[in-house]
Amino acid sequence: MSDDETVEADGGTASQPEGVGEERVEEHPLEWDEPANNDLSPGERDSVSQRAEKYDDRKLVTGQAKYTADYEERYPDLAYAAVVRSEIPHGRVTDIDTSAAEAMDGVAAVLTPDSDAVPDAKYTSAGQSYPEPSPWDMHVLNEHVRYVGDPVAAVAAEDAETARAAADAVDVSYEAYDYVTDPEAAFDADAPQLFGEDEVENEIVGHDYDRNRMASIEGELGDPESALDGDDVHVHETEWETIRQSHANVEKHTSLAYCNEDDRHVLVTSTQVPNHTRRQLAHLFDIPIRDIRVKKPRVGGGFGGKQAMVVEPIPLALSLEIDRPVLYEATREEEFYAMRSRHPMKVRAKTAVTDDGDIAAIDIYALSNTGAYGSHGMTVAGNVGSKPLPLYSKVPNVHFEADIVHTNTPQTGAMRGYGAPQGTLALEGHLDEVARDLDLDPVEFRQRHYMEVGDLDEIAGMMGGEGAERRIRSCGLDECIERGKAAIGWDDVEQPEEDHLHRGVGMALSAQGTGVAGDELGAAQLMMNEDGSFHLQVGGVDIGTGADTAFLQIAAEVLGCDEEQIVVRSSDTDVTPFDYGAYASSTTYISGMAVKKAAEDARERILEWGAKLLDEPVADLDTGDGTVYSEETGDSVTLEDIGYEAAYGDEEREHILGKGTHCTEESPPPFAAQFVDVTVNEETGEFDVHKLVVAVDCGVAINPGMAEGQVEGANHMSYELAVSEGITLDEAGRAEVSDFDEYHLPSATETPPIESILVETHEPTGPFGAKSVAEVPTNTVPPALSNAVRDAVGVRIREMPITAEKIRAKLDEREH
Amino acid sequence: MEIQLTLNGERTTVEAGTEQDLATVLRQHGHIDVKCGCDGGTCGASKVFVDDEVRMACGMAATEAEGSDVRTVASLGTQDDLHPVQQAFVDNFAVQCGFCIPGMIVEATALLSENPDPTEREVREALEDNVCRCTGYQKPVEAVLDAAGRMREEGVAADGGRSVGAPSRGARSVGCCGGDCDE
Repeated sequence: MSDDETVEADGGTASQPEGVGEERVEEHPLEWDEPANNDLSPGERDSVSQRAEKYDDRKLVTGQAKYTADYEERYPDLAYAAVVRSEIPHGRVTDIDTSAAEAMDGVAAVLTPDSDAVPDAKYTSAGQSYPEPSPWDMHVLNEHVRYVGDPVAAVAAEDAETARAAADAVDVSYEAYDYVTDPEAAFDADAPQLFGEDEVENEIVGHDYDRNRMASIEGELGDPESALDGDDVHVHETEWETIRQSHANVEKHTSLAYCNEDDRHVLVTSTQVPNHTRRQLAHLFDIPIRDIRVKKPRVGGGFGGKQAMVVEPIPLALSLEIDRPVLYEATREEEFYAMRSRHPMKVRAKTAVTDDGDIAAIDIYALSNTGAYGSHGMTVAGNVGSKPLPLYSKVPNVHFEADIVHTNTPQTGAMRGYGAPQGTLALEGHLDEVARDLDLDPVEFRQRHYMEVGDLDEIAGMMGGEGAERRIRSCGLDECIERGKAAIGWDDVEQPEEDHLHRGVGMALSAQGTGVAGDELGAAQLMMNEDGSFHLQVGGVDIGTGADTAFLQIAAEVLGCDEEQIVVRSSDTDVTPFDYGAYASSTTYISGMAVKKAAEDARERILEWGAKLLDEPVADLDTGDGTVYSEETGDSVTLEDIGYEAAYGDEEREHILGKGTHCTEESPPPFAAQFVDVTVNEETGEFDVHKLVVAVDCGVAINPGMAEGQVEGANHMSYELAVSEGITLDEAGRAEVSDFDEYHLPSATETPPIESILVETHEPTGPFGAKSVAEVPTNTVPPALSNAVRDAVGVRIREMPITAEKIRAKLDEREH
Repeated sequence: MEIQLTLNGERTTVEAGTEQDLATVLRQHGHIDVKCGCDGGTCGASKVFVDDEVRMACGMAATEAEGSDVRTVASLGTQDDLHPVQQAFVDNFAVQCGFCIPGMIVEATALLSENPDPTEREVREALEDNVCRCTGYQKPVEAVLDAAGRMREEGVAADGGRSVGAPSRGARSVGCCGGDCDE
């Protein structure tokens, strides 16, 4: 990719965007040609909208479900991997002495960057579509190391303990270079440079490696510069800072590789992106795609941390070397310093507001610290603007710019919210402050500018190519605010009796996307068995969200049968159709629509057989209760009879198969309104969050119980983003966190009660009206809590986390 | 060395290195219901009962279990006949990725055997050292409170004893075993 190509902020490459104009408006008509069966009223739905039991729950609560590590018992000759990682932040490996490790009993292999089994191709770990919108700047094992944690060598041994001991026995000598850990300092002309010439392929727009910049992006709508310079406006500017948050998935990154009886390479792996992983491994190892099989078992949480090929090349290289199955399970310590984290950012928000309280312009600038490598760097930074800014689609002049810089710090990557939490903090905190400065009601101030049904969202597309802008066809913001306010008691806040305690409420809005506009693909196929049951094969990836159950409910709704009659198989590249993977809030919307199409395709054949067996026209038939029935005559035939007849019947017998593929230019935003109720101690700065309320417009909830769970989990992650330190680093960029005790996730007692409110709208482009739910509540607690503290005691915390010490310092400052 | 223990009600002999933790040894003997999310006692996923006391199996030496009665989550209920706590987790959508859930269910069951009528605060305190990344604890806490109510109503023993005459929902006949059914 060259400099003069534009890269879509959401991913993928695209040509230069065209100007905003009438032509574009017509490309996104409000009317949507929706099939009649997509718009069923709640009373007409049999399976969708029901709180159906999660299909794998019984295995999960009895501990019988299999995650990657649970496959070890199947391979008696399994070897275990451990990785030797750089102990210095920046330098070059001058020598690796493997002799002591190799001499240990039970050690099967020690690989270094020079080993034949180790690819020397450059790649990105980011699990994105192709061409990849992340630079190829990594090696599987490195000579040039760029952070404390960069992989240098890998070991396979008879058991995990021996592998770890052997890795510790590998003696690495380095030539140390100067290093830089501060993103602003990394820009300096005399800062140590992380990447030299020829060390990166597939460079991204705006790269300037002389200044450690991997990308720079910019987008504009209207004339923000003039608007911000106007005489008749108040200009406000604030700066915000976010933490380096860990995904902290309880199941560690785990991957098992072996060569099977057909000489094909099988990866059983905890991933969100099986198909991207297959393609990336094929590129790295120069193995044909057809000879790699990526299977996803149960996954113990991903949250974006597994939207990357983080560990898979290590066991594959080792299995190639020793011709045995190899399991690599990261240690918990490695999870914190050598896997992935959320990009820490500084985000500046600037607005011009008229005397009448109209926002004339918004300008957002983000400085993103991508760490040692650039995976997801540009696309995450793009979302800092393109996700929250469209909330205020009525603002005429908008500018967004981001610089993404390298530092000698651990790697960042995709994480739930994907840039939107950083942008939402800045925008929603800023607007709240502006409203208070101008003595306007913060909620009404937002409502004057925010999105409504019918709006054309040009902001989402201002940095992208054609198709990234979108027409808003469903929007429940008003109801989200109304119900959220009622639930938190917005208008009814009682102050504590003690003089030093002050209670306040804060709120924030958020919008996300649903899939990546123009850059998604999901596919599914449905096979009917001769007993009238079905096998659903779907590329969509259930990483613990319940996606498989949603797929079953969608298929069952179309087929008119019970979900229990359908077996779901998701995410095995040998068996299931192609899918881009579980990210960008796409699973229910994109993969779910593929499932719906596959089920409809099968249903057409089923109705044909029903017509033949009932001797009635297809037009009079419908499916329901496991039958095909006639409204006209009341006659029916069971799916079981149809299954047997199709398989064993007359000379026209067939295997009833349905297939569905879905890709779309659409990416409808779900919306959220967050409310926080806090009491702050004015003497100590200590605060107590009584309750989190988050109301989410997710379109139609396919399974309301699961959707609430997604909202609550996302909100907990958002709460952590507001109150926890995240992964702190020492001066050399070394993670100071090595286990869960040190990485402070709010525990069950430290987490406030979370009230999730589903505000149902109908999104005509989604399966049965669904859009997404799982990311948007990740964005909102930091600004809402900052706003609530401001409401309670009048001080503003802009640098996360919000702590008692910071509040007290601000209170002290105010008094002096 | 060989360790004698009673494992989910059966007298068993397991082979264990002196340095090995109990979780690793149980997993090597096929007990995949003991999950390991950390490397030594900081996430709670590996919780089991050792002589009726809740312990993190990854944080205790296997040799320490010599002669003990060890029970994992698998001792509580089967897919066809879930323990009320397990059933409540299913019914309340308290399970997402499920990785931390066996440890959480063990802890919740222990709580209810000591305190059949806990407050929400007491439930949260019991789950204090069970790390869950998916749920925000909201639905697990609701599930434990729901289970407490059901067990009081049905007179169920919290130590894993079956509910006598209580209605039992049959297992759903979902055919896929979670991604491992092709080989």
